[in-house]
Amino acid sequence: MLRYALTNLRANLTRLISTALAVIIGIGFLAAGLMLTDAMRAALTGTVDLEYARVDLVVEPAGAIEGGPASVPGSVLDAVRATDGVAAAAGELTGPVNLLGRNDESLTSRAQGRSWIDDDELDPLSIESGRAPRSATGSTTDGDGDVEVAVDRGTAEDQDLEVGSHVRLATPSGPVAATVVGVTNLGGQDALDDGGTFSFAPTDATRLLAPGTGGWTRILVATDEGRTRAVADTLREDLPRSVEVQDGDRFRSDQRAMSAGLVDLLRPLLQGFAYLAMFVAAFVIFNTFSVVVTQRFRELALIRAVGGTPAQVRRSLLFEGAVIGAVSSAIGIVFGMGLAFAVQAILGAFDIRLPGAGLSVRPWTIVLCLTVGTVVTVLSVFVPAFRAGRTKPVEAMRDAAVDHSGTSTVRAVIGGSALALGLALLLGVRLVGLTSWLLPPGALLLFVGVLVGGPLVARLFAGALRVPARRLGLTARLAVDNTVRNPRRTATTANALVIGLFLVTVVTVSGDALKRFTVEKIDELSASDYIVAAGANGISPELVAKVQGTDGVAAGAPIRQTVVLDSSGRMVFLSGADIDLLRRSTGLAAEDGSIDAVADGTGAAVPALAGASGGGAGPGEDRSMAPLPTRTGSTMELVAADGTTVGVPVVATLKPELDTLLLQVVVSDERFTELAGDQPVSMIYVRVDPGQADAVGRRLNRLVAGHTGVEVQPGNFLGQLVGQVFDFLINTVNALLGMSVIIALVGIVNTLTLSIIERRRELGMVRALGMTRQQVGRMVRAEAVLIGTLGTLIGVGSGLLLGWVLIGSLSAEIALEVNWARITLVVLLGVAAGVVASILPARRATRVEMVEAMAAT
Amino acid sequence: MTSPDLPPAAPTAPVPPAPAATIAWAAQVIGATKVYGVGEAEVRALDGVTVGFEPGRFTAIMGPSGSGKSTLMQCAAGLDRLTAGQAFIGDVDITRLTEKQLTLLRRDRVGFVFQQFNLLPTLTARENITFPLDLAGRSPDPAWMDQVVATVGLGDRLDHKPSELSGGQQQRVAVARALVERPQIIFADEPTGNLDSRSSAEILTFMARAVAEQAQTVVMVTHDPVAASYAGRILFLADGRIVDELLAPTRESILARMGALGI
Repeated sequence: MLRYALTNLRANLTRLISTALAVIIGIGFLAAGLMLTDAMRAALTGTVDLEYARVDLVVEPAGAIEGGPASVPGSVLDAVRATDGVAAAAGELTGPVNLLGRNDESLTSRAQGRSWIDDDELDPLSIESGRAPRSATGSTTDGDGDVEVAVDRGTAEDQDLEVGSHVRLATPSGPVAATVVGVTNLGGQDALDDGGTFSFAPTDATRLLAPGTGGWTRILVATDEGRTRAVADTLREDLPRSVEVQDGDRFRSDQRAMSAGLVDLLRPLLQGFAYLAMFVAAFVIFNTFSVVVTQRFRELALIRAVGGTPAQVRRSLLFEGAVIGAVSSAIGIVFGMGLAFAVQAILGAFDIRLPGAGLSVRPWTIVLCLTVGTVVTVLSVFVPAFRAGRTKPVEAMRDAAVDHSGTSTVRAVIGGSALALGLALLLGVRLVGLTSWLLPPGALLLFVGVLVGGPLVARLFAGALRVPARRLGLTARLAVDNTVRNPRRTATTANALVIGLFLVTVVTVSGDALKRFTVEKIDELSASDYIVAAGANGISPELVAKVQGTDGVAAGAPIRQTVVLDSSGRMVFLSGADIDLLRRSTGLAAEDGSIDAVADGTGAAVPALAGASGGGAGPGEDRSMAPLPTRTGSTMELVAADGTTVGVPVVATLKPELDTLLLQVVVSDERFTELAGDQPVSMIYVRVDPGQADAVGRRLNRLVAGHTGVEVQPGNFLGQLVGQVFDFLINTVNALLGMSVIIALVGIVNTLTLSIIERRRELGMVRALGMTRQQVGRMVRAEAVLIGTLGTLIGVGSGLLLGWVLIGSLSAEIALEVNWARITLVVLLGVAAGVVASILPARRATRVEMVEAMAAT
Repeated sequence: MTSPDLPPAAPTAPVPPAPAATIAWAAQVIGATKVYGVGEAEVRALDGVTVGFEPGRFTAIMGPSGSGKSTLMQCAAGLDRLTAGQAFIGDVDITRLTEKQLTLLRRDRVGFVFQQFNLLPTLTARENITFPLDLAGRSPDPAWMDQVVATVGLGDRLDHKPSELSGGQQQRVAVARALVERPQIIFADEPTGNLDSRSSAEILTFMARAVAEQAQTVVMVTHDPVAASYAGRILFLADGRIVDELLAPTRESILARMGALGI
């Protein structure tokens, strides 16, 4: 029987192409996702070990969060160096730096500026040519003397730089002129950072990369042999409580986890979409094998007649499925490699370089892809195989092999009741206010109803179309009739499309509604006119003064922010500001208590909604955020910079406005310094004179040009940002769902091609009777459009329904304003998919040779 | 023969009564040659056949399997193209027509009855009958439609689907379809091949009556002497050539001629 299966595979190769194609696309997607994320993960985490290889201990700000300010004071570094048993210690400091072109345009992207570490033990970089950068004396921003810089080998080659080149660099403290004194590499690799590495002498680095403070991101420590633990204990004892000491292994594993964080998020997401694509592919495979079994009906009956057992018939089909699944999966893996390369190349063309060059093909990837592809195929073949096994020997003698299944009463009852119950539950949740716990079972029942009851729906659909189709002429009428000749096959084909478009619609509808709601809510809040915001590296005092002195700026309030710990070790997000300036530049207002009491330095103000922001752990940290007090009169016990615990009374709660949401706990500048030490200014709230908004915006943008990491944002940027994030998510998810729509398209091509093979004689006959090729083509196209339309309407319809119920169950406040333009686009795409899918089958149908077709038996 | 410089259809065949030079053939082929395959595998299905089908006559084409009788019909009807020679429907040289012109010519001027798979399963009997007219966007003459339907005796079954009809009834629908468009010529390929003798007799009677009463032209391919006996003229084919011809045949004369030809 296995030989029979193999000869069948060879004989039916063309019929099985679509099955193979569906698997190849799905598995290709899965493989590409795995390979890309593996490569990214390897690239992102791989440098951690190189970079921090010799680090025994790390001194970081307590509660350090990635992207937090560089706030380990220089005095701590001196203290560490003076500690007995410390072999070497160096401050690490990084910040965004870009190479500027002739017209101040950025020639590099995502390059990093670094403080050069002189100690060979701790320094990850090696000098390839030239020498290490030394501090230039007396040079100021854009001043007379050039800063010395060492560039990485990759950037040097890309940008034609060599020792002695004069360059202009954008830094957090503005543009600066520099001389290349050395070229570096990282253990043979080009650069430590993806976009390039610019190394400065430590004093230059602190001035350029951490404007406003002389702090370090962290201090790296190498200890004398075997003394790591003792040194750690001593440091924990001696250093202020605002910093903490971590051992190197723990630090490295935290860094790895943090670097891989995004990839680890991306990976299951991509895999999820790949599995969805495979689910859709299962429909295509199921359909193909159902048709193949129907076509081979007499042959199968013959096998049964000459003594083949049902089990043998079943096994041979399952074996066919397994072979196709395995072979297609293998091709899919190769296709996936091509896809991954293509993604890298396309992104590269837009100057987006993914971390990690090339692909990482792990054995696990190959095993997973082969297994998933084969298992899905075999599972999809199961039902047709069982049906084939039930073939009666006597059917070898019967004439026509027609598939009449698909409209049985059992199916009608099951499909109908699932559909009705699902609808009832969903409508109950939405209209009668049943508990939203009923939503998932309702959605599931609806889905099952659509899948099981599909043939009935197809039949109803065709019935409804028959009358208008008759008016459109014979070909339209025939097309409608043809779609319900085999309602189950039509329904399965349409359902493959339903799955993708259903999800697209749900995501679009509910995403749109949520976005609109959220953005509206945010926009209701008052805000400053502009926010000049910096990343971790802060804003230099010079720039603060320039912003405040800009024409048309009524008030500019510099804000310093950091995380401090409370007495039980939990994190508190603290903002320090000149309260008077803050009040003049934002909508700061007390809901309870008095802001004046904050201004005079005694207490703190907290957002009125503070209770909501507690809980949750920081990234890579096991420390939790402290729940904030919600009422005035309570006292927060905070650990000050000198290690003492200070009671800070809550003297005001702040009205929830955009600005205050970003501030969390607000204290006066003096209090902030006492609690958090020397910290850079991280943003400036700007209020402009009436009517000056646009002009000031342009002036501020000119002002911050060349200051890497410093941006001018409109005060209500949060609304725009949230809107953009929503749009990005909706579009990305829809694009990924597009993969399943493509497979559904393959399914339509497949069904039509197979039904044309089945109807060859009939097509020959109608051609003989005088149907022109154009009419035949039109008929087949109409069939495809009908299937496409059926799938689209069911998918979009149920998607709209679920979106409506979903949004309603979240909050009665959220209005469901369907973006009809987008929904119309989805519908048009679905119908267009039908037209595209019909091209090949229509060609095939019009090429039917009459004489040959009618002679075939 | 239409033109004196053409060779006789076959050397052994008695020369048929020479029709008047002005006769308008319903269909004819001249020097019709059809070759399948190339080289060693070459098969000459038709080997220079010249024959005309006069209007208002029921002609049967007989011959053993592989004699080329179906190929002759298919080429004469414009279902297949000749390798060499000419084929006419009326005065139109169909070998010069484009695919589309040929299709439209078949639709408007040729009727077909096949052995099986004659009907579209999704259409009712009535819709099947008017199918070629519908394709052309014409509606049937109601009186003529009624007469045809009455002739083939389908009155109460017109709204049934083919699957609800017996084999004989299905062929009656096919004959009605061929008649209703009043084609210049009807080609029938083993129309009774799948029917029992009673249904066969009915179908053949309808076709013979259409020829006798409405001067319809019918060309039928068959290997059944009983079926052929309904025709007014029989052509015998062997190895792609016309080997004999019989006018006003009877069952006995057909059997005798078949015996003589070793068919």
